[in-house]
Amino acid sequence: MDFRFSPEEENFRKEVRDFLIKEEKVVEGARKEWDSGQGFGPYCWEILRKIGSKGWLCPTWPKKYGGLELPYIYRYIIQEQMHYFTNIYSTVSAGMAGPIILRHGNEKQKNEYLLRIAGGEIEFALGYNEPQAGSDLASLEIKAQDMGDYFLINGQKMFNTRTHYAQYHWLGARTEPTGPKYKGISLFIVDLKTSGISITPDWTLGHMRTNQVFYDDVKVPKEAMVGDINKGFYYILEALDYERVSTTAGLERDFKEIIDYVKESGKNKDPLIRQKIAELAIDIESARLLSLRVAWILNTGKVPNYEASMLKMVVSETEQKLVNTAMQILGPYGQIMEGTKWAPLNGKFEWRYRDSLEALVTRGTSEIMRNIIAQRGLGLPRG
Amino acid sequence: MDFNPEKEQAAIQNAVREFLAKEAKTLAREAEESEDGYSRELWQKMADLGWMGVSFPEEYGGSGGDFVDLILILEEMGKVLVPGPYIPAIICSGHAILKYGTEAQRREFIPKLTKGSLVAIPALIEPVADTIQVPIKEQVKAKDGSYILSGIRLFVPYANLAEWFIYRAISKKRNTLFMINAKSPRVSYSVFNTIASDKQCEVVLDKVRVEKLNMLGEEGDGEKIIREINEWGALAYCGFILGLLEQVLKMSVDYAKQRVQFEKPIGSFQVIQHQCADMATDIDEVKFLTYQAAWVLSKGLSATKEISMAKARASDACRRVSLLGVKIHGGLGIIIDQDMQLYFRRAKAAELAFGDGDFHREIVAQQLKI
Repeated sequence: MDFRFSPEEENFRKEVRDFLIKEEKVVEGARKEWDSGQGFGPYCWEILRKIGSKGWLCPTWPKKYGGLELPYIYRYIIQEQMHYFTNIYSTVSAGMAGPIILRHGNEKQKNEYLLRIAGGEIEFALGYNEPQAGSDLASLEIKAQDMGDYFLINGQKMFNTRTHYAQYHWLGARTEPTGPKYKGISLFIVDLKTSGISITPDWTLGHMRTNQVFYDDVKVPKEAMVGDINKGFYYILEALDYERVSTTAGLERDFKEIIDYVKESGKNKDPLIRQKIAELAIDIESARLLSLRVAWILNTGKVPNYEASMLKMVVSETEQKLVNTAMQILGPYGQIMEGTKWAPLNGKFEWRYRDSLEALVTRGTSEIMRNIIAQRGLGLPRG
Repeated sequence: MDFNPEKEQAAIQNAVREFLAKEAKTLAREAEESEDGYSRELWQKMADLGWMGVSFPEEYGGSGGDFVDLILILEEMGKVLVPGPYIPAIICSGHAILKYGTEAQRREFIPKLTKGSLVAIPALIEPVADTIQVPIKEQVKAKDGSYILSGIRLFVPYANLAEWFIYRAISKKRNTLFMINAKSPRVSYSVFNTIASDKQCEVVLDKVRVEKLNMLGEEGDGEKIIREINEWGALAYCGFILGLLEQVLKMSVDYAKQRVQFEKPIGSFQVIQHQCADMATDIDEVKFLTYQAAWVLSKGLSATKEISMAKARASDACRRVSLLGVKIHGGLGIIIDQDMQLYFRRAKAAELAFGDGDFHREIVAQQLKI
């Protein structure tokens, strides 16, 4: 049993940290862009390229594709520090699309995308959800029709969040209308500038932009398909296995702000507030240990089972508890928005309270996570 | 980083599990009915297997292990609710004597503790006189190199089995600990009837004379030693609670799989599934907070914050998980012949032992320097 990083890992952690501190201007700019809800702006791209050029976006990948051939725990360390300083863990291309291309893509796809992914030059937007396909992803309906020398794609996507700045759509589309739903889906890499694609924004209450994407007779070349036809749903599930870590670094940073506020305002003498703060500290520490556990499982080369679902649920619910506790401590002032003189901590938690809902309902809701823990972890029968 | 016990630790844990499954399954229930509140036979077997000496140096009859080894054993004890004073007598008293006793005291007590032939229990908690008039006046009088002590201590576990007490003498707010012979005529005890029938007692000292060489630590050291005793006790209880809750979850999942209502196993209903998922999450949190605290302590570092984090979560999880266990068992959850209620009652006692959630959260707050 050992709950520490090794000395080499600890050194690496310091190296990443020092680098991000040195790049303060870019890092701060990236965090502002990200927190604005608009997605990647110039500073985000700059920090991603800088991280990428060091091999830190895909540190576990082969060197010839821009990686460092390091164990998984190094990726965790980088994500933790990125989360702390920028609120951006990684890219979808590095975390989900890239590993599937690496494993199931053809040589041409590998050569075309992997170096650019590892270098932080391109982003893929997830193209899974549709208006009627959320938790039940296998019921997606957008249609990719084999026209001989190309695919013709028609249909609608929803909650495809990064599509307004990513270069590529990581698209799940139906290639087989009959038979079991999950056996008729294929994966495509689609250039988002292809004619016939239109993107319209939806805004969350945390002022984050997500998108609906419409495909209207979009012609996609045959070589855009990843892996085998009708295997897409399996790849989608497999990709989830690669991107299962949430870190608590951002929560620890926000928690520190709450503690400082409580001390400066003299509220640290209130036993009720002391109880709340301590409970939050325990929640965050529990979540941190659960995230280290998943990182450790991945580092030993195994695939986590229910542990990753538990982690996702706990981290998002801890975030919810954190912002709620902050609001309780701030009292009526907590509701005042940034820009008003009476807003404590510059209105940060008024915004975070709204923004935190996103983590609860995306990447699988807490309720879906509980289903997975119960069925896959505890062996309870499906209803 | 490694979240698993070492190979050797895992082997010991497995052996403990198998032994207890065979020897101790029905003992918790029997102990509740018995006068002693434990099984003398099992106690001796545990000592013969070396469980009493796990965390003590070899020169005192131990095997030189650490708190991680202890926690893994306690986890197994919690699963079958092993009755008896293992935590207060062996872990708390033993380590207090090991760390703060004189060499003579160590040689006198620890080999007997590890052999299972002696029980020494901390008697630390003074009554809070809010509703009941305290009948004995607190007294510490130094006289000719010895002391005359009077006082009442409550929630002393298994005083009925004790040969010795580690008694907390309070004078002018200063605490000093003494080894008190439990069999001396001016020492008496009475057993409380408690929710878990776990032999918590009142111990009364009425002008007991004790020599200075029976002092544990220096005069005025009591506060410091008690803080550590409470940390060891709280951590040990976390291990016990972890096992207890793992067993509650196992019983609940097993039951939910086989209990059919509306023509389906109730475990296929999402309501039950989500309750079980919440139980599993609570348990995994308790597990790693506890393991981490034991691991920090085993490195010889202060684990005050880690232990209080673990016990606060364990205490609250105890109540939440055992309540869900009862609910999933439905009517059977409240029937006295069934095991579930046994776990439910023991969970409450464990929640309260060595500080509940509120108590430990305040320590965490202090540790966060707020």
